[in-house]
Amino acid sequence: MSFDLQRILDSKRAFRQKLAARPVAEKLRLLDELRAAALAIRGASVPSPDNAGMVQEDAAKYGDDDSK
Amino acid sequence: MNLKEAIATINRMQADGVIGRYAIGGAVGATFYLEPVTTLDVDIFVGFRSDPGHVLSLGPIYDYLKARGCTVEGEYIVIAGWPVQFLPPGSPLVEEALADAVDRDIDATLMRVFTAEHLAAIALQVGRAKDKARLLQFVEAGAFDDARFQAIVSRHGLVDRWRQFERLFLNDEP
Repeated sequence: MSFDLQRILDSKRAFRQKLAARPVAEKLRLLDELRAAALAIRGASVPSPDNAGMVQEDAAKYGDDDSK
Repeated sequence: MNLKEAIATINRMQADGVIGRYAIGGAVGATFYLEPVTTLDVDIFVGFRSDPGHVLSLGPIYDYLKARGCTVEGEYIVIAGWPVQFLPPGSPLVEEALADAVDRDIDATLMRVFTAEHLAAIALQVGRAKDKARLLQFVEAGAFDDARFQAIVSRHGLVDRWRQFERLFLNDEP
């Protein structure tokens, strides 16, 4: 066990790379599980503007009007 | 809930002629190139018919899916437990992304997804906090071809925005 911050960051980066390199099918199954866990934590069925008290970002605007 | 089943349903809808070319974008699309990150919905970009007098409508999509047990919840339609949003390409960049999307065979299910370069450029253009985080993931992972990305950024007037992003997040200088 070490509290060397650089080693911790390197270890995290290596773990993320390992996750990214997994087969896509496995990563999609992980998304299923991550969503199920997120919903269990939030206690909501689907994202909704009615979820009062929840901090949410605006929906994505896929246009180029604001890119200039 | 099952993402693969949701995409298979969309494939059947395409085969049945309800939609034309589609592609997966957003966080689910990014998962093809990066580590998985929690997301609550699926963004599916669809080329809607644009002939004169034709009104863009999700009606045929919703009718098809509701007849197969899917439910509408707000702006989403829930397929195999996943809220899916069908989106028209809202900019030339997204139109190009849809045209250049690549087919992937995932356990015998065909999935069409935006390229990594287009996903990164769209994240740059949309620009919310989570889009910036996704773009950083692409950069840190070296998950895209930089020359292709730069060409897209240049073609779609995003050079200044990219320089600003580099200054804020990629340079060591304060």
